[in-house]
Amino acid sequence: MATTEIGGMGHSVKRKEDPRFIRGKGNYVDDIKLPGMLYMDIVRSPYAHAKILNIDASKALALPGVVAVITGKDLDAYKLAWMPTLMSDTQMVLPVDRVVYQAQEVAAVIATERYIAADAITLIDVEYEPLPPVVDPFKALEPGSPLVRPDHADRPTNHIWHWESGDKARTDDIFSKADVVVKENIYIPRIHVSSIETCGCVASFDKINGKLTVWMTTQAPHAIRTVFSLVTAASAVGQIPEHKIRIISPDIGGGFGGKVPVYPGYVIATAASVLTGVPIKWIEDRSENLQADSFARDYHITAEVAADKKGKIHALRVKTLADHGAADAAANPSKFPAGLFNVITGSYEIEAAHIEVDGVYTNKPPGGVAYRCSFRVTEAVHAIERMVDVLAQKLEMDPADVRMKNFIPPEKFPYKTATGWEYDSGNYPAALKKAMEKIGYAQLRREQARKRAKGELMGIGICTFTEIVGAGPSHTFDILGIKMFDSAEIRVHPTGSAIVRIGVQSQGQGHETTFAQIVAEELGLPVENITVEHGDTDTAPYGLGTYASRSTPTAGAATAMAARKIRDKAKLLAAHLLEASPDDLEWVDYKFQVKGTPSKSKTMAELAFAAYTNHPLGMEAGLEAISYYDPPNLTFPFGAYICVVDIDRGTGAIKIRRFVAVDDCGNIINPMIVEGQIHGGLTMGMAPALYEGIFYDENGNIQQGTFMDYLLPTSMETPAWETDKTVTPSPHHPLGAKGVGESATVGATPAVTNAVVDALSHLGVTNIDIPITPWKVYQILQEHGLTEV
Amino acid sequence: MHFEGHETINAPIEAVWAFFMDPNRVAECAPGYQSMEVLSPTHFKPKVGVGIGVVKATFTLDVELDELREPEHVLVKAHGVAAGSAVDIHGGADMKASSPTITEMDWKADVNVSGTIASVGARLMESTARKLTARFFECVREKVETPR
Repeated sequence: MATTEIGGMGHSVKRKEDPRFIRGKGNYVDDIKLPGMLYMDIVRSPYAHAKILNIDASKALALPGVVAVITGKDLDAYKLAWMPTLMSDTQMVLPVDRVVYQAQEVAAVIATERYIAADAITLIDVEYEPLPPVVDPFKALEPGSPLVRPDHADRPTNHIWHWESGDKARTDDIFSKADVVVKENIYIPRIHVSSIETCGCVASFDKINGKLTVWMTTQAPHAIRTVFSLVTAASAVGQIPEHKIRIISPDIGGGFGGKVPVYPGYVIATAASVLTGVPIKWIEDRSENLQADSFARDYHITAEVAADKKGKIHALRVKTLADHGAADAAANPSKFPAGLFNVITGSYEIEAAHIEVDGVYTNKPPGGVAYRCSFRVTEAVHAIERMVDVLAQKLEMDPADVRMKNFIPPEKFPYKTATGWEYDSGNYPAALKKAMEKIGYAQLRREQARKRAKGELMGIGICTFTEIVGAGPSHTFDILGIKMFDSAEIRVHPTGSAIVRIGVQSQGQGHETTFAQIVAEELGLPVENITVEHGDTDTAPYGLGTYASRSTPTAGAATAMAARKIRDKAKLLAAHLLEASPDDLEWVDYKFQVKGTPSKSKTMAELAFAAYTNHPLGMEAGLEAISYYDPPNLTFPFGAYICVVDIDRGTGAIKIRRFVAVDDCGNIINPMIVEGQIHGGLTMGMAPALYEGIFYDENGNIQQGTFMDYLLPTSMETPAWETDKTVTPSPHHPLGAKGVGESATVGATPAVTNAVVDALSHLGVTNIDIPITPWKVYQILQEHGLTEV
Repeated sequence: MHFEGHETINAPIEAVWAFFMDPNRVAECAPGYQSMEVLSPTHFKPKVGVGIGVVKATFTLDVELDELREPEHVLVKAHGVAAGSAVDIHGGADMKASSPTITEMDWKADVNVSGTIASVGARLMESTARKLTARFFECVREKVETPR
């Protein structure tokens, strides 16, 4: 067991990064200021679909301080007007002749001051010829619909791809014989990550030595470096070799998936710097971030469950329309176009499932990113957790009983699902029981019955989710062919301190603390003596970045593996110093000792010194190691959440009275950081259930273009979360850890939704599309004559 | 957005017609009017400042009159751009004299607004438009009903 002095696994070590953040000494992209730096701002399209007839920049160019105006035609001359997306689609950097979504980049201004650039964009006259847009994905598939992407000459339709998973024949067969079939249409609207820091970059190309340095708000700096090298190779600029590209992702103010994609602004600023040799800064404003950056979700799901009368689920059938906007720019580095959506069988033992998803283009900003979720797992969990409740309602059973009846039994792990995933470990009944006891489930149901009799509205919502995280095994995951391992490099210095460099990158997760704790645990060096660095491609080992709760499952494992290599060498050093055979040594209390003889021992600090001063003949000096870890499987964290809501019949307002979250993320590195992750995740998961959603009018105008209309929860809306845990270690992860960043975001949305629907279920309500606003509830109450003045 | 309305103006139909055919006089009543370039009697380009909530924009409009049947019918097509916003208007008016000194006018307009004004000001747009329209006709009445 780790000691407080060491601060290894399981200790709530205070975050090493916080002193600089709470003192305002973080170093974010917008803090980067270089001599002679110019500023960029972007002209954006008011239309969702239009031809560009002319761009007149003369007035902008006449404004003192304006250096250049860049249009799609300028970039086209260098073959840079288009760029690849992460899903092998293409996306415009700047348009040559047409725009396909509102707020799309149309031209860029480079000026000596940020404010001059902002003034200049208003002076650029763009002549548009509006075209009819299509914003509804169902209409986009109808014959005669406006074509969003005529550049795809081989595909004269808005249909992008069809994907299916599971066994259709067996599923249909079970459905045809089932006692009970329930079906529901569930829409999960667009939402936006809205991280505190918007996106931006400072691109600086040194024409003397040909080196490009870009400080960038990115969650995956190494992948960006490789992509930039490949993109320049295909352009008329000529390839910038990868060793001449340095991507630095400094302190990042929240990513949540929104900083995985490459946005046109990065490319324009970088191209401008490469062509001029002058550093260029681009920082988007809040509205640009909300209106144009990649969205999340936007899945139209039709789900059916086949069950018997006792509530046992036998099959699941799902058809989904995935609205991708104007490009398939999902941040989804799996081999599947709908990501991990087929994890939709959830925590349940289901004989057969068949899942179909169709991707569709519409005149909306492209996406969708995995907002704090593993590539569509949020959509999957929301759908299955809603459907279990719909089934319980149909059978007039308690939703907790239906879950208990259908859980994959703990003894059946590792468990292979009907869609092919192998769950590593789980104990779902234990988590649900713990949550039910903690919240007093039986009493709450009795209270609900009493209140219903009096006409009061109270609901209890359960969600027992299984997450799928840690991308990932290289057989299933890659970015443009780069397999999704991750890495760590550790150097132990002679005096017993160490530096750890990791291939993943923190956007606030606390890596500088937790990765130091892993090394502390493995080597017995105190956590304060370990520095963790990340985000600079010139120094960190190659990695695929942080998203999809993958840092601990991949780079965390790599860190442990690298530390174990160091420990192996340290053992040889200890044998040398103690004049014993390595086989006679044991690692006890963070020291190597001669078996059974604690007086004959060496600490890691002593061994580190020996590695540089007194290593045996034939052994290389130094104490360092590197590991690239390709996980054998994903990890499957899970949890049981229960939410209690009260509904005001006068206003339809929903109040979350209590919310109990029991999470199981395997072995925990830092309980305080995990709890913080869960608190944030719960808030971000509650929000789409009740507040957040981005919708467009028929002309493609965004209706939630500011925080006046896109409602982010504040502390006023956030209830006092009650958290607890069970611990079911991952059998294949070196630390038994599973990853936790997304669990709460994934689990909270259905828990809140189920609670509100439960409050109204006696009225025959089976589903309400999120966000469930007071107005939607009020309309339901009005239909049933239940409103109260 | 679709708007329509009926106005009773206490002036002879010829006077009302003459007013609406004179872009400079109409402009005096247009809320937020700044300046105008007259290209022909039926084609002009006014600059109009619009504020919806916190969003302010100056639109350069391209206005054309069509299907003129003096003194009772006119169609208006307008297209305007501002930084980050655009507007397209298709409208028309039919007038008839209910007495030698009273003109009844039915008008309608389909307005498509795109960009920042539409996305940021969506909730306020319709009420703002109604308020501005009311102010416009108040001004028209004042100008036409008072003999020059």
